[in-house]
Amino acid sequence: MSGAWNNAASPRRRFARTVVPFLLLTILAVLPLFGPGPNTVRLLFVTLVWVTVSVAWNILGGFGGQVSFGFAVFYGLGGYTAALALNAGANPVLSFLLAGIVALLASLLVGLPTFRLKGPYFAIATIGVSEAVRVVMNNLSVTGGASGYRIIERGAFHQLHHFYTALALAVVAVAVSMLVWRSKLGLALVAIREDEEAASDLGVNPFRAKLLAHAIAATLTGAAGGVYARYAAFIHPQGVFAFDIGVAILLMPIIGGVGTIWGPVIGAGVYGLVHEELIASFPQLHLLLYGSLLILIILFEPGGVVGLFEKSLRMFSGTRRASGSHP
Amino acid sequence: MSAVDLLNLLIAALLLAGVYAAMSVGMTIIYGVMKIVNLAHAGFLMLGAYFVYELHAAFGIDPLWGVLLAFPAFFFLGMAVHWLLIRRIPTSDQPTLTSLLLLFGLWLVLQNLGYLIWGNADRAILTPRTLSVLQIGPISFPTVRLVVFAAALTSLGGLEFVLHKTWFGRGVRALMQNSDAGRIVGVNVETTVRVAFGVGIAFAGAAGGLLAMLYSFSPDFGGPFLLRAFVIIVLGGLESFAGVAVGALILAVVETFSILFLPASYQPAIAFSLLVVALIVLPEGVAGLWNKRRRWA
Repeated sequence: MSGAWNNAASPRRRFARTVVPFLLLTILAVLPLFGPGPNTVRLLFVTLVWVTVSVAWNILGGFGGQVSFGFAVFYGLGGYTAALALNAGANPVLSFLLAGIVALLASLLVGLPTFRLKGPYFAIATIGVSEAVRVVMNNLSVTGGASGYRIIERGAFHQLHHFYTALALAVVAVAVSMLVWRSKLGLALVAIREDEEAASDLGVNPFRAKLLAHAIAATLTGAAGGVYARYAAFIHPQGVFAFDIGVAILLMPIIGGVGTIWGPVIGAGVYGLVHEELIASFPQLHLLLYGSLLILIILFEPGGVVGLFEKSLRMFSGTRRASGSHP
Repeated sequence: MSAVDLLNLLIAALLLAGVYAAMSVGMTIIYGVMKIVNLAHAGFLMLGAYFVYELHAAFGIDPLWGVLLAFPAFFFLGMAVHWLLIRRIPTSDQPTLTSLLLLFGLWLVLQNLGYLIWGNADRAILTPRTLSVLQIGPISFPTVRLVVFAAALTSLGGLEFVLHKTWFGRGVRALMQNSDAGRIVGVNVETTVRVAFGVGIAFAGAAGGLLAMLYSFSPDFGGPFLLRAFVIIVLGGLESFAGVAVGALILAVVETFSILFLPASYQPAIAFSLLVVALIVLPEGVAGLWNKRRRWA
């Protein structure tokens, strides 16, 4: 799938790429001034949490080409860590940090053995890890097992606090993703994605690069799980550790445009909004839609929404750009 | 823990291994010939279960006949899926993420179509056989498990015959060993691959029917069995039919005897953990495949 994971910075649209995100961010930041309904804020909050995990997954899966079905592990562990910390009286920021740290440690535990596997075998092993963790969490008595765990916070509930926390975390995630993309690690990840053996011949340590990317992605995912858990105030293994969560985290960047900076953001936006609209009335239709979309993307437009967008832009402008270059 | 209990467990494990082998063999065929990890296997297991269920519910057809009918039905379904989707992705002599994600998408589609059609209530196929028990001395055999075991062995025997005595079967085995060499000696790769995919799906559907006689099922029925099938073929070295039998036996024994050490609620974790362990510590089963030939970029 080397073509699919290609990403090229186009100088022609660099301007748009800088302006549009800032515009979007500004709109999101000042939105509460216009007094949107609690339902809108909730929708945006959930979407921003999705943006964080989608961008995080993309660091490992998009840049590095290591497809993981197991990110629910970090999301769930982050959620439970933050929940335990909050109930122990820790302040929210500290709880989210702890959530990230626990997820980071878990990523090492998962990554050390599974990164000895390549490509599809790694992907399948992550299914196994994810399901095993879910079964264990279902039976863990400290956290209430399958019946879930409740977070009790004193003080009033300010929805906007949650919204801004999620917004800040999403911004951090995108910034980290950009930094990784521009760093030596980003180059190493792309090299691994395109040809792991060639990369290691050139002096890249694939195992270390993958482990590092995994750790970064897991930390962000864990923090996002914590932010979500604090908002939800009640989490249970079938929710945060569900295979469906791992699937959603993988679908969003692929739909948006895997291996790009903004593709995962777009994918998460589309997923978050459609998800919330469809899940209530037709939960099955939702995944049916995304399964079909995944098939179509794999067969016809591996670049996802971003790829489709760029293709149509190219068709209109009639110019060809150099592909596959790294900024 | 008496000797009789132990013997009962051993027999339960053996009977389970038969179904496990039948459910995994389709995955091996497809993996062996096309180097595709069929994540949609779970979806076809589920469809097979509902196929047999519907035949039983609507026409009163005995589940065993239903399983027999599932073979041709799913064979053609598999060939159609191959024609519609699989032939469009680039072939490779090692598994690719493209094929993995494509079949994963297909699984999502099948599973959620299942939810749309049948809802999420658990179903079960009940026949007079379901609850009867064959008692021989101190040892009891649940009849339905015996029947399913016999059906699984029969289908595996049939497959063995086809693979060794027919031109198609020789073609399949040639492609599993080396697809380029197979092409050189005159195997029609396109046809063989399409038919092999059909056979793989046929076994998935039939095995789903067999599993439905033993367990209750819902549209997400296939998931745990998919991972079990995968751990079995990994344990067996991925491309060997004898390996499938060995892998099925190992998993069935480990799962069955785990109830002596672990609470039953942890039992599903065994297959998943075994999967990870098998993938990592059995380099001759898996790693040998990558290292055999260098990647071509």
